[in-house]
Amino acid sequence: MNQTGNNTVCSSEIDASCRVPLLALFGGAALWLVLGILLGLAAAMSFHKPDLFANCACLSFGHAQAAANDLVLYGFIIPAALGVILWIFARLSQAPLALPIVPVAAANIWHLGVLVGTVSILLGHSTGHTWLEYPRIAAVLLFAAFMLVAVSAVATMGFRSNREMYPSHWFLFAGLLWFVWTYSSANLFLLSGQPPRGVVQAIIAWWFSNNMIFVWLALVGVGIAFYLLPKFANKPLANTGYAIFGFLTLIFFGTWCGIPHGAPVPAWLPTTSAFAAMLTILPIIALAIVAGKTVCGSGFSLCAGPFCFVKFGTMSFVVSALLYVAEFCPHGARVLDFTWFSVGVTQWQLFGFAGMILTGAIYEILPRMMDKALPLPLLAKLNFVTFVLGTTIYVIPLLIGGYEQGLKLQDPSVAFADASGAALMFLRASTLGQALLLLGSLCLLLNVFVMTLQWKRGLLSCALSAVKAPLSGGEVKP
Amino acid sequence: MKTGFSVFLACFVALGASWYGFVYGPLKQLGVEQQTVILQSTDNWPQQRTGEATLGLQVYRQYGCAACHTEQVRQTGAANELDVLTLGTHNAEDFKGFMKSLLVVPELMTSSNDIVANLDKWNGQLPLVLYYGQNADAVSALAEKLKPVGVKTDARVVAVGPDIARGWGTRQSVAADYLYDQPVQLGSLRAGPDLTTIGVREPDVNWQLLHLYAPNCVVPNSTMPPFHNLFEVRKKVNGQVSPDALPLPKGFALGDDMEVVPTTEARQLVAYLLTLKNNAPLYEAPFTPVTAAK
Amino acid sequence: MSDENKSCCNTPAGEPTATRSAAPMWIIVVTLALLFTGGLYLDNHGGWFNSKVYAPYKSVDQLEAFQPKSGAAAVAAQGKKVYEAVCGICHGVDGAGKPGQAPPLAGSEWVITKGDSRLAHIPLQGLSGAITVEGKQWNLNMAAMGAALSDSDLAAVLTYMRTSWGNKAGEVSVDDVKKARDAIGGHAQPMSGDQMSKMPE
Repeated sequence: MNQTGNNTVCSSEIDASCRVPLLALFGGAALWLVLGILLGLAAAMSFHKPDLFANCACLSFGHAQAAANDLVLYGFIIPAALGVILWIFARLSQAPLALPIVPVAAANIWHLGVLVGTVSILLGHSTGHTWLEYPRIAAVLLFAAFMLVAVSAVATMGFRSNREMYPSHWFLFAGLLWFVWTYSSANLFLLSGQPPRGVVQAIIAWWFSNNMIFVWLALVGVGIAFYLLPKFANKPLANTGYAIFGFLTLIFFGTWCGIPHGAPVPAWLPTTSAFAAMLTILPIIALAIVAGKTVCGSGFSLCAGPFCFVKFGTMSFVVSALLYVAEFCPHGARVLDFTWFSVGVTQWQLFGFAGMILTGAIYEILPRMMDKALPLPLLAKLNFVTFVLGTTIYVIPLLIGGYEQGLKLQDPSVAFADASGAALMFLRASTLGQALLLLGSLCLLLNVFVMTLQWKRGLLSCALSAVKAPLSGGEVKP
Repeated sequence: MKTGFSVFLACFVALGASWYGFVYGPLKQLGVEQQTVILQSTDNWPQQRTGEATLGLQVYRQYGCAACHTEQVRQTGAANELDVLTLGTHNAEDFKGFMKSLLVVPELMTSSNDIVANLDKWNGQLPLVLYYGQNADAVSALAEKLKPVGVKTDARVVAVGPDIARGWGTRQSVAADYLYDQPVQLGSLRAGPDLTTIGVREPDVNWQLLHLYAPNCVVPNSTMPPFHNLFEVRKKVNGQVSPDALPLPKGFALGDDMEVVPTTEARQLVAYLLTLKNNAPLYEAPFTPVTAAK
Repeated sequence: MSDENKSCCNTPAGEPTATRSAAPMWIIVVTLALLFTGGLYLDNHGGWFNSKVYAPYKSVDQLEAFQPKSGAAAVAAQGKKVYEAVCGICHGVDGAGKPGQAPPLAGSEWVITKGDSRLAHIPLQGLSGAITVEGKQWNLNMAAMGAALSDSDLAAVLTYMRTSWGNKAGEVSVDDVKKARDAIGGHAQPMSGDQMSKMPE
């Protein structure tokens, strides 16, 4: 309850305390999302017109795709998620954000790190490890920034008056710890002066990639969804028994997936991953049950508001996570390894699940935080439509094309050119989806920037009248 | 009801366990590997690359080649094979009868159906694949029985799988193959073919350079982007073609007085690609290499 | 900042709450069932965490079965098999011999000879009477245990003896065995130690 008594803090105060840090985080995130999708489009051009970037190697597929993926994950998803986590912790603690200057500094450091990393990749200084392509400097900046935000978040959580933790607390707190440990560990091993020899590098990269793209995204996405869904549906979160079970099994089993089936490593590694993958179906089902029971009855109206974003995102979580887990089943892996299928599943997790939930959360938080309505509400609705259509048109052809490619690769009598040619048509179709995503992300960027500009203009006029007032001898009129 | 500490503890244990299993464990088990020995030989594996090829691996990393190409061959099984090379004093027909009479011994009973099927569909040409399957004892029993009658046989172990059948390798890739790769560029997508044995499949330097400059001229309809950054287009010196200029075919040539010369980076990259051979049998990935025809 | 809300956005009804409930039993049971099935799968395909077992091989034994058997490795495998079936019964699996039954082969000067031709005569003809082996006197009878073996088996087992248990000598080839058989001709008579020492190695 807000405003229950004189000594409780009202929500608008809590929201206001988050203003500057979250604008810093969300503003940068929205910009990086647009840039990331643009680079992704440049990479996709390779399959429409291969010699488009013949003289400009920095935009060829190898550079552009790596930079695009990292921009979406490190540039958009993580800072946006951190901002939402800070707000949720503040709200759940019924206390304003602790140490608000710290996340502001952290946001700037983070965005600097992303900039340095992206430029390095485009100039050819990528480290060569998937999802860890940023060089040492950028990695250090990102880690330091994350630690700073985590400190503020944990402090905020510590100040909660109601000592009982809400389920979102578990997931989001776990998410903070997860990134700190996996990112530092992977970078320390792989980017050190004496990295481990040979295939161990790939194993560590797979461990990181699974714990980041699957487990971390799930923890953060589900944590945010478990906060927003009951709020929107005006019902309590259903079946926390399933939620506890889902949380524990996700962290205990989900973390062991990751090693692909055909990998050049001793048999015990992919076998353990396949075992874990089979068990990971359980938390996905459990969390789906919680989400489903919480929103059931609210229907799927074309409201196109934040509620719809989060609902679509949660449904995407269930399907994309099940597909991810299916990739580790040996029979599936034989066909689907090394095809566009896994690219499709990853993009579904990034855009369809995390992207949707975070965008919905941003649209929910911004008006509350700035004490103002969204400046461009039609664009926000357009954002929803383009994101839904865009994700579908981007991901589904990749999944189908990948499966076709995989089937043909299994048959040695089919020439390789025919096998990869089978996927080409689907690849080209999926570029339309990326264009729609770009349009949607521009809507988000415009909303965030216009809101920030309006706020800054308000601050400026406030300051100006404060200066003028003593001169004119009148009252300060904001 | 959970306290912050209990959540922290649960995460610590869960992530700690997977860290131990997938980071620390492999580090101890595989990270200390040294060179291994090629089967039935005293040579070490893998061989260290030359300086140029090592720099070439860095060029491979810089250009993000691993985004489209994999460097790992998979295997779905292995088979024991017995080939008959000469028939001794028999001709094809009575060899069939002779073989069938040998199949009554106990160690060949389980495989006799397969062997009979192979004999029945044999067209009389040598070498004959007499047995192809999982039973190693059947192979040695057959070899023993045929030796005294002057029939020359060759017992082989072959790797089985779509990648192998496609000619992308003679065995699967194992950890020992990547011992000297820094960083390891395994790749995760086959938008282009696998490169584990590209040094064996396309050993010609000029083919590799042409493929980097203009992939379409050596692979029609290729979706690989051309990498012009790796080459220098310049005027011919005194109208003479330099010895290291690319022999561009018609339709790709640039005009009478221009030539395309590879840069150092291109040469390093090609030197690296030509070291990708992976054709040595190891204990963990055994197969019988095909020896040259006698 | 002014606290007068531009209430375009709905005031929140309050922070979300969670209904308490226990984890249902069916999901716990399914988890246990999957743990069991997965454990079986790990047992079958995990290669017991051995660093040399790569999928599709499931165990070291299976990997061993697929090692190519030609060349020296094949001969050694064949020789070991024959030895353990025929000679090891008396001479011991470790080649140490058994007092009153058979002299040792490990370190025996009759086995580790420079030449390749004499050794084959022992199993082809048999031994009878006194013989000194490694400084000890033996006075037993050995039947022609190798007469029934094929040339390749006999050559393999003799090579095995000469390269095992610390013995380091050259291989005995199939030709050496053939020559010995031809030299013996039809009726093989057991030799004595004296006769043996007079033969060229």
